[in-house]
Amino acid sequence: MRKKLLIATIGLLGSATLAAPAPDRWWSPGEGRVFPASLDYANAHGSLRLLLDGGAMKTKGHAFFEPLGKNGRACVTCHQPADAMSLSAATAAERWEKTGGKDPLFAAIDGSNCPALPQEKRESHSLLIERGLFRIQLPWPVRQWNGRPVTPDFTIEVLRDPNGCNSGAMHGPAAGNISVYRRARPVANMKYLLAVGFPFDPKQGVALPRDPDDGTMMSGNIMADNRAGNLRMQMEDAAHGHLEYARKLTTAQIAQIKDFEMRVFTAQQVSAKAGALDTLGAQGGPRKLQASQPGALGSIGIPVWSEFAAWEKINPEDAKTLSPEQLAFRQSVARGARVFREKMFLITDSAGINSRVGFGNPVRNSCVFCHNMSQMGNDVAPGQVDLGTTTMPFADPWRDLPLFRITCLKAPHPHYGRVILTMDPGYAMTTGRCADVGKITLQSMRGLAARAPYFSNGLAKDLRGIVDYYDRRYNIGYTEQEKQDLTNMMSAL
Amino acid sequence: MLRKLLATAALLAPVSAAAAQTGDLVQFIACPVYRDADSGKKSGCWLVDDPATGLRYDVSLSPHKPDWNFAVMVEGRVSGASPEACGGAVLDAVRTSRLYDTPCTRHMLPAEGYKGRRFVLPKRNISPTSMVQPAPEGPFAERVFPIYFEWGNDFLIYQYGDYLLEQAYHWIAAAHPAKLVVTGYAATQPQPVSGRNMAEPAELAEQRAQTIAQSLRRLLPGMPVEARVDTSGNPTNDRDADNLPAQSARRVEIRALF
Repeated sequence: MRKKLLIATIGLLGSATLAAPAPDRWWSPGEGRVFPASLDYANAHGSLRLLLDGGAMKTKGHAFFEPLGKNGRACVTCHQPADAMSLSAATAAERWEKTGGKDPLFAAIDGSNCPALPQEKRESHSLLIERGLFRIQLPWPVRQWNGRPVTPDFTIEVLRDPNGCNSGAMHGPAAGNISVYRRARPVANMKYLLAVGFPFDPKQGVALPRDPDDGTMMSGNIMADNRAGNLRMQMEDAAHGHLEYARKLTTAQIAQIKDFEMRVFTAQQVSAKAGALDTLGAQGGPRKLQASQPGALGSIGIPVWSEFAAWEKINPEDAKTLSPEQLAFRQSVARGARVFREKMFLITDSAGINSRVGFGNPVRNSCVFCHNMSQMGNDVAPGQVDLGTTTMPFADPWRDLPLFRITCLKAPHPHYGRVILTMDPGYAMTTGRCADVGKITLQSMRGLAARAPYFSNGLAKDLRGIVDYYDRRYNIGYTEQEKQDLTNMMSAL
Repeated sequence: MLRKLLATAALLAPVSAAAAQTGDLVQFIACPVYRDADSGKKSGCWLVDDPATGLRYDVSLSPHKPDWNFAVMVEGRVSGASPEACGGAVLDAVRTSRLYDTPCTRHMLPAEGYKGRRFVLPKRNISPTSMVQPAPEGPFAERVFPIYFEWGNDFLIYQYGDYLLEQAYHWIAAAHPAKLVVTGYAATQPQPVSGRNMAEPAELAEQRAQTIAQSLRRLLPGMPVEARVDTSGNPTNDRDADNLPAQSARRVEIRALF
């Protein structure tokens, strides 16, 4: 009996016990730790695991971990391992409390609401501390992903500038720039974000552009506004815009950062309510991610979130190894995966889905229509879609974010009309097209438990907030059970 | 029962107006209506009433479907299929070009017993890059590949234009022609449709040529691509225009020269 219980316990914990105890959660630039082959961090929903393909790595002298620019930041400052290689608002708040705002994280350039504000005051950094938002200063008029200037087919006016970074002598359209506020995207599981499933961008109606460095097709899934087509361009953008690195990154630095980013995988490994996510036939956790081929369309291959299919029918013998709460939570996660794939609703007035691509407006489909890549839940095609998260009338009208009035000079926007009010024009700031206003690139869904809040502007404060937003936006009519199942499922990713 | 009644009514409807015969070519402009039939993903129905005859057509098989906020120009062939899926005479092949300058009152009909159509992958769909395509076999000689567009649009149509372009790409990649000449066409000759004179602007021919030329340059780096324009708007009888003359006039031709 004791032997049986021991085996059952091992089964329940699965690989949850294999990783070494986690060191300090916060990784400061240049501290020289070794990044282990496997690393676990607790979060509100259980624990996250990071795997480093190829084994442990020294970070001393590594370009991702060393401070490069004058503000003392490194890449790791805003892409923290404990936060699934992103940065949660809770972590930013903790950091403020711990350092009195002296951490390089709060650098004036983008870690404050605007550099002109008094930097010693907490309220000057409220967007980062409360919603995990960094200031992103974009050129106006627009430049393409390859740096080429574009003549936009819209004008932009600033209706609201609560932080002072869209007006005055230095900031705003008249000064040649626009400031928007966005979450840091996770720098992990990168092979999925770079994967190309098909040679065309169905949303733009054109073949995918080629990487100027290696000639391969570019996925268009790295950045929120797709302003950088490959990792080198993203690094250069970040080194300049976030690290205040005055020089050009060297080839060796770029190679080193890319090497790390391509090796690191992360996902929730243990659920506080369900136990290890890779037990009793489930395939949660990062190991499956690390081993799988990226870029597969779930609808013609491995269904999205079928990692939890085995929990749909847990046999009675296995069920005995779980507490009633664990069993119920596992069943909920499995149901949530099905709801994600199978609950159909009418998708309306969303550019990138209902226009210009010809699915129809409306079109009946489920979450996996867009979150369609096996294992990852991002879009196999370039994922620029307007969910309305940044744009009126769908977005929450937060008065601490700037509000822009876009006027389309040629054809009106197919869903918003000629005049659009938005807090972040999104992809339109890369293409210069009014039809792209509000489009934000879908991102990875792994490690969500570690990196609240969600959506590019932190609109959803928690996982339930994501479900509630979609339910409201598309009038889905989820039952309370479906909402809870979806929330639980996302906590296990 | 209700579905059968409605289907029967739909079948009888043409008797009181000008009956639509199988194979008839219809062309008209009207507001689309969405029927919320639910047989899974992409299963909803698109219906449009011809303002000249009052006949209700099922245009759901169009590769580029309507937007319920705007009128569509319908071009299609009446098929012999039963109207039981959606409740309208089925057009197949059919095109529905969105007319963004003509707003409509958006309206959704309930399913009313109609089931819509379970989604099946259309025959014109592109393959994942992970799937190795069999290389076309030679000998290779000069060849023309047409790509088709909706009215007033240079957008590469998903699961239609992209498929045709992919077919061209695979052949060209195997054939290694000396250059490609991409000629854009526009339907510039005014055609009366539902009381409107429909003519595409001449510059659309150039836009179409540039759109396809850009894609070819990305698909086939290093391949010389020359863009040309022909605004004559002449139709062709190419099979991929699906026996729709107006569709054939809105095209780009990729000519591979050796």
